[in-house]
Amino acid sequence: MGAELDTRWFDPARTNLLVGLLLFLTFLAINVLRAKRGGSIYIRPLAGLKALDEAIGRATEMGRSILYMPGLGSMEEVGTLASITIVSRVARKVADLGCSMQVPCYDPVVMAIIDGVVREAYLEAGRGDEFKPGSVHYVSAQQFAYVAAVSGIMLRERPAANVFMGSFYAESLFLAETGNLTGAIQIAGCDKVTQLPFFVCACDYTLMGEELFAASAYIGREPIQLATIAAQDWAKALAAAMIVAAIALSALGHPELGRLLHTS
Amino acid sequence: MRSGPVILTFLVGTALIALFFIPHHKAQAINAELLVWATVIYAFALILGSISLWNTHARKIRLKTEGWPYSLVTLFALVVVTALGVWQGVGEGTVVSRIYNMVNSPLASTMFALLAFFIASAAFRAFRARNVEATLLLVTAVLMMIGRVSIGEFIWKGFPGFTEWLLDVPNLAAKRAIAIGVGLGAVSIGLKIILGIERGYLGRSR
Repeated sequence: MGAELDTRWFDPARTNLLVGLLLFLTFLAINVLRAKRGGSIYIRPLAGLKALDEAIGRATEMGRSILYMPGLGSMEEVGTLASITIVSRVARKVADLGCSMQVPCYDPVVMAIIDGVVREAYLEAGRGDEFKPGSVHYVSAQQFAYVAAVSGIMLRERPAANVFMGSFYAESLFLAETGNLTGAIQIAGCDKVTQLPFFVCACDYTLMGEELFAASAYIGREPIQLATIAAQDWAKALAAAMIVAAIALSALGHPELGRLLHTS
Repeated sequence: MRSGPVILTFLVGTALIALFFIPHHKAQAINAELLVWATVIYAFALILGSISLWNTHARKIRLKTEGWPYSLVTLFALVVVTALGVWQGVGEGTVVSRIYNMVNSPLASTMFALLAFFIASAAFRAFRARNVEATLLLVTAVLMMIGRVSIGEFIWKGFPGFTEWLLDVPNLAAKRAIAIGVGLGAVSIGLKIILGIERGYLGRSR
């Protein structure tokens, strides 16, 4: 007998996730309205992003390039989405200063998108003719072939700065250590907890987890972008309060809130 | 301003969020169909990738840049493996499968084996006691290393349990804090893109 087809239009086991999403949207709406009314939104300085400007400036002075690596994630990875939003801002600054940039890609879909993004950033800066076709290029969809090729680029071309932003896996330490040997400024941002220690060891600056997602808003400094970070902070405060409350209530013999927070 | 891609992103993004909450078999069939579309797009993008690879290395050969013979090897491998794959297929026992198993896999394993040396050099740099945090890291690492080998238990019976505690309590707490931040950041960036607040993926900052 075949399995019975699911005819439900809502999965009640995901009610808590839906409530969480709606709360997040509410926080987002409130903060966007605040930003539109001119309210000031403070976000703490991120050393890694301040250093990004310096790195691009240094590369321009030295007449060397910036090597930007968007990680090994596909377009389904949120770290890759964050990386694409950052590369557009980085490309804009690179175009403004007249520096050069190289983006070796692991995923062909990501390559096609980043190529368009970087091209547009040059056009927006009014320097469309300075965009070098081939500066965003495909390398390999094999993890260690990618490592070998990018390590070769680092050692032969000696970029002034290596920027690692996105989802990285076992290749993180290979790339960061090779870059470290060349003496380039290294700035990393990764959403994979297991790879962060490697970047911290081998890079000058590391954006940890959520900082990667805040980077684009931070670089752009547009009030509405900053409002989304404020909404994220509100959600984090709420999550922390809920966790503390659930632990306290469970200790007092009332595990209901803990069960409510459990996701399937 | 480009409103077309923003509207398309909003519609597809909203639909995918809705599909996450709808277990109905028809909704899930749509979800599966969208995944097939993603695979088809990937296949076409792979052609773009191959063209990009060809252009990059052909330029290096033409300009005789440093290391250009490697580019020649890359292009030769690209042409030969593609031709063999089209001619014979890529199944078990074909030449492409043999190249994969006898050339590609050992090369990848060799690269991976180098990780031990990279870990050693990174650890050496990280464990230099330059400040309080680095000293704390050094002490913890030494305790962890002793506790994970049999001599640790010989020195003190509680060593293995202590290292387990280090991993399961302070270490896990820090990892979970980062993971919660990543989760919220992921939701935030997803919503920003769906709602059209973030348009960097279109190459436009505004």
